[in-house]
Amino acid sequence: MTHVLASQVPVLIVLLVLGTVAKFSVVRSGREPGELARLGPAVLMPGRLQQPALLLCGVVELVLAAGLLVSAHPLFRWGTVTFFALSTYVLLELRRRRPDAGCGCFGEVSSAPVGLRSIGRTVVLTGMALMAVWAGTPGWTAFAEPAWGFTLAGAAVLAVLSPEIDELVDRARHRAPCEQRRGPQEGVSLARLKSSGTWRAHAAQLAATEPYDSWRELCWRFFAFQNHERDDVVFAVHLAGRRPAVRVAVVSAESLPEYTTVSA
Amino acid sequence: MGFPDVERRRVLAAAALGREATTPGPGPEGGEPLRAVTGEILDVSPHMIAVETPDGRQERLVIAPWATAWHGGDVAPADLPVRATVLMRALREGKVVERIWADTVRLTGTIVSIEGRKDVTVELDCGPHRGRRTIVIPYRATGRLRVRHPQFEPGYLFDAIGVRKDGAALALLPATSQPAYPARAVPPPPPSYAGAQARIAGTITWSDVFDGEERGAAYPMVERSDAGCPDAGVSCAALPYLAIGSLLQIQNVCANRSAVVPIVACGCVAGRFCDRCVECGTSPRGRITELSPASYVELGGDLVNGCFNAQIGLG
Repeated sequence: MTHVLASQVPVLIVLLVLGTVAKFSVVRSGREPGELARLGPAVLMPGRLQQPALLLCGVVELVLAAGLLVSAHPLFRWGTVTFFALSTYVLLELRRRRPDAGCGCFGEVSSAPVGLRSIGRTVVLTGMALMAVWAGTPGWTAFAEPAWGFTLAGAAVLAVLSPEIDELVDRARHRAPCEQRRGPQEGVSLARLKSSGTWRAHAAQLAATEPYDSWRELCWRFFAFQNHERDDVVFAVHLAGRRPAVRVAVVSAESLPEYTTVSA
Repeated sequence: MGFPDVERRRVLAAAALGREATTPGPGPEGGEPLRAVTGEILDVSPHMIAVETPDGRQERLVIAPWATAWHGGDVAPADLPVRATVLMRALREGKVVERIWADTVRLTGTIVSIEGRKDVTVELDCGPHRGRRTIVIPYRATGRLRVRHPQFEPGYLFDAIGVRKDGAALALLPATSQPAYPARAVPPPPPSYAGAQARIAGTITWSDVFDGEERGAAYPMVERSDAGCPDAGVSCAALPYLAIGSLLQIQNVCANRSAVVPIVACGCVAGRFCDRCVECGTSPRGRITELSPASYVELGGDLVNGCFNAQIGLG
């Protein structure tokens, strides 16, 4: 019986950790604070408290996940029950007061308006957390001897109740073209350039290993260097892929557009 | 602007990708080319105007019989005050003036504070490059401005056209219907599907923070690290990322004129406006760029209208 009761603890731990990671990555991605205004219970907070509220929620989830994993203390077990029961209430309140806002449970992926599925999910999670109260063993034992059938059944029920999965499928199907997506950091593109064959072929000519100018246009990032003859060597690195296309041109310093006069 | 030679970027990018390097300038459509002349009035009569241009030259231009002027309201060209700073739209190789705007300013930004009861003093945050500026809304203009700015409180956007008078910027006309969201909550662009459009439609406005005779555009969608602009890369139109130094081919749909204009600054304030232009028909949402007054006028725009419907392509 303990086996059955403990079977949902791994699901709870994984979900709580995913929630924390997603919330922290939303805050870290440097998004507009205003965008948080459409995410979850943060909407119910005044503007300057939205970010700390999201972070606090993430921290609480992480503490609960760690507690479930390493101990069977009733504090963490009942804490999880309270957390999900409160979430259910908050989501119901959110749906009533701000029907346009998403639940924010998994960061910006959860930006679809709160529906019955999200609320159903927190109800199911509250039930799972209640089961865990009487499991009596720490979470790591459930990981060590998993009851596969029950755990997978629990995960499947949650997947059916997750609007985020639809959102992820939609995003994969309708991805913005690369010229509209935020590109990788300049340093990442430079590292990719330096691991390319084109770079090795031209590196010996360059006067410096760091570019004197770098800019992004559409799907390409350009790096401009000078070679020993003081001509410009420009590399164009495509933004997509780990081994992107690299193009290179050597432009002599005098080759600004020239205008030749036409004689009659 | 402190960027390494951005003119050079065009040549280098064209060489690396094997494409033809284009140069800025007006396009073939639209009939007679327009020229924007900037300067300070030295002398004005019903038929002639003499100005001193920012580079110190003196120019004498003929005022066309149908010419009109704007100085806080429509006035006859001969009534413009001497020493006023004017921008003129000129025809016939830039010798015949048909429209004059005097001391015109564009007050675009986020409201920081509001003070006063009759004449309202507003502090605007005009973005990281442009800093803050304090403007005055005279009592007679408050009704007209407030009706188009229903969220008249700190944190919301403000956009007006006015005149510079005794060193103060007076806001007189609303330049747009204020977006309903706070300045830092710009809605995301509509989802776009693979295969970007060749041309993007939206609204184009002007800004008075460019140098007098500068031809150029401030474009919102530049990488933050490249432009050194922490607020860039926000727009509710599905715009592609470009660099400072890239060329934009701009077509004024209202006047059927086009030009190739270089991007010279980061348009982080323009990107926050998810509004439409109703100059001729209704444009799709989103400000594509903010032009310098000279470029705006040469594309056939009227400074007092504040915007024109446009399409852009890459130059």
